Amino acid sequence: MNEFKISFRENGKVQVMDLRGYLDAHTAPNLEEAFQKLLKEKKFNILVNCKDLAYISSAGLGVFMAFIEDVRTGGGDIKMSNMSPKVYNIFDLLGFPMLYEIFAEEHDAVKKFDVRKQSTK
Amino acid sequence: MKIRKLLTLVGSILLLAAVFVFDSTVKSLDADIGSWFYVRGAFVVLAFVLIAIYIQTGRKGRQPTMIQRIGRIAAWTGLFLGLSVVVSVLRFGDFETRAFRLYPRDYITILCSALLSVAAGIVAAVTILNLREMLLYKRKRGTRRNLWLLFGSFFLASAMTFGLRPLASTVYTTVFFVLSVVLIIVNSFRLSWIAYLSRREKIYAMVYSLLAFFAFMAINVLLSISDRPFLSKALLYYSYPLHTFVQLTSLLGSVYFGMAFISTLFHLPTAEAFDRKQSELSSLHNLSRLITQVFDLNELAETVTNMTFEVCEASGAWLEIFPTEAGRKGVRQTTGIVSKREVSTDEIQTILFGDESSVRSVVISSKKVLLIDDVSNDRRTRYMAKLKKVGSLLVVPLLSHENLIGILYAVKQMDFGFDQDDIDVLSGFADQVTIAIENATLIQRSIEKERLQRELLLAQEMQKRLLPQSLPVFPSVDMQAVSAPALEVGGDYYDVALLDDHHVGIVIGDVSGKGVGAAFYMAEVKGIFQSLSKIYISPKAFLVKANESLLSSIDKRSFISLIYAVLDVASGELVLSRAGHCPMLYATSSNVEYIKPSGMGLGLSSGSLFEDSLEEKKIMMKRGDVCVFYTDGVTESRSASGEEFGYERLVKVVNDNRTRTAEEIREQIIQQVWSYTDAQGYDDDLTVFVVKWNGAARS
Repeated sequence: MNEFKISFRENGKVQVMDLRGYLDAHTAPNLEEAFQKLLKEKKFNILVNCKDLAYISSAGLGVFMAFIEDVRTGGGDIKMSNMSPKVYNIFDLLGFPMLYEIFAEEHDAVKKFDVRKQSTK
Repeated sequence: MKIRKLLTLVGSILLLAAVFVFDSTVKSLDADIGSWFYVRGAFVVLAFVLIAIYIQTGRKGRQPTMIQRIGRIAAWTGLFLGLSVVVSVLRFGDFETRAFRLYPRDYITILCSALLSVAAGIVAAVTILNLREMLLYKRKRGTRRNLWLLFGSFFLASAMTFGLRPLASTVYTTVFFVLSVVLIIVNSFRLSWIAYLSRREKIYAMVYSLLAFFAFMAINVLLSISDRPFLSKALLYYSYPLHTFVQLTSLLGSVYFGMAFISTLFHLPTAEAFDRKQSELSSLHNLSRLITQVFDLNELAETVTNMTFEVCEASGAWLEIFPTEAGRKGVRQTTGIVSKREVSTDEIQTILFGDESSVRSVVISSKKVLLIDDVSNDRRTRYMAKLKKVGSLLVVPLLSHENLIGILYAVKQMDFGFDQDDIDVLSGFADQVTIAIENATLIQRSIEKERLQRELLLAQEMQKRLLPQSLPVFPSVDMQAVSAPALEVGGDYYDVALLDDHHVGIVIGDVSGKGVGAAFYMAEVKGIFQSLSKIYISPKAFLVKANESLLSSIDKRSFISLIYAVLDVASGELVLSRAGHCPMLYATSSNVEYIKPSGMGLGLSSGSLFEDSLEEKKIMMKRGDVCVFYTDGVTESRSASGEEFGYERLVKVVNDNRTRTAEEIREQIIQQVWSYTDAQGYDDDLTVFVVKWNGAARS
């Protein structure tokens, strides 16, 4: 029905993932794979740009929970940006803003990454 | 039936006895018989017709085979020939010939000719009745017509001699005799039954046909030569029509069985090939039948191996089935061998894994039939040369949509043991086997699926019992709830608990994900709620403790959203805390709003971060106020165009129906969501819990 797509790009030293479409129980494994790939490449500074994310279900939210611990142990973080009000509402209901940093704009988020910590490793 | 049969027998005996008495009388009086001669002739004909009827009736039982038929004919004819030779040689009687008439020498002669004639009649009847079936075998258009023409001309030729003096003849007798001979030749090409005999049967058919041919030939000669021997005279004396009929029958027999003999002889070299085709055909047929009957994989494998063994007359055969895609390359053991015949596991081990590029690996990569004509001299199979048992080897892959599901092997002790036929047959066979194996596997899977379906239904029953069977009833408050899972089991949960004499705990929650996994967590939440709610009266304290309990067991990508509200049924005070769940809808006469105290979901974070996120809100319900708890299945239900039901629509439904009863409000919400999703059914678990305050109890 509604496609879900992930594309990767780099913004400075930060790995950006652009999510597009519907993230639900069927498509969550794709996101999981994407995170696994980044972790394998030791890319721990991850920004998830949700500009084109239309919907996220509890299964999609679970994927972020599955990897946050490993990412932070690796010295990085998962931050999010550019959420539509509707998607933000879903994150907000569950209390995600208390667990993740969520920004209105991508460049604000990029600035917040402590890149030096990563590069000294 | 039996009485009629008996009557024909008795009738014919009486008639023949009468004829004998008549003949004896004529002899003793030496009188001229005049027109009595015709009466006697009629008696004889009638007697033989009755004999023929007697032989034919009551033979409705099992049809004898063609071989049995030829055997019977040969036996009867041989016996008859022997009898007539004995009678002639011993000179039991003789005739004098005067003016085309025969005069018996004595009474013995009369008796002998009567006996020989009856025997000849019986042999003719047996021959005709059996030949009829042989001529009609695999009948075509015209077969039956030709047969009746033949018999018709026999009868006419015989009838033309009726009343003639024994040694006289007319033009008509000659014409019909010649016609009969032509028809005999025409009918003698009806030999199609030979083609369907096995090699063994053909040899029998040849021997019997030859015997029958000689016997008929001898009788024919005895009846036809101008220097009439005793047999001919005896029959002529007894009945000229009988003589003609027997003569024609023996002619038919000699021509037909002569043809049969030659034809069988020519069929003999191809008999083996025919036998083989026949057995291949029946093997394939058997297999097709098995496909619909055998659902047990082992039984099927056994049958396939046996059939391979028999069809190619192999000295060993076995079947390997790959359990899974991966099992094909990794496994280097004989575990995939599901059945074998006349070959040991050690031998198979050598043949399959004795070399890096064994025949097995060759076929696995090529997916084509592999034939090794000379195992000991072939480069590819030198590794198994020490196996004396294997001279030639045929390996056939079982392919289903280009997927290799197994391999069929056959070995022969001889070099060059397999010919093109074997390859063709086994290849065709392999396709059938593949279908059979796939069927059996599918059936096994569907049985397994059915079992899981039953388990799921059981789980559904169990889960239904985890939800409250009924809600407590108070005069001050009206509570109604409903929950429907999207799949068999779901992750939505609601419950109530009486905390003390005037406090009710109301909980509604949603476990992330759907299905069985979610259902297990839901059961866990139920346990936590029922045990902790009575200890921690404050909603916030309860949620903190619930989070602690859950964290130890919950998977890190799962979480649970929950709203917990404690209602004082005496005063209408409602205290609630929210752990990541959809906000509660609160409708009063003046306002409709979502009450959304902050708080994150259970299972997301431990300790103080969770505790600090939680807020507690307190409202005082007034008469007619409505609280609606729900899960995201309500707000996130999507229309055909993909738009969500959303919060605004929920506000509207509740506002429009606020003055109705709690049950009606609940029904309205469900109905609106349903019609909105356009009968596509739920896309998510869906739960609604409505609380309507009817006013504090007057105390």
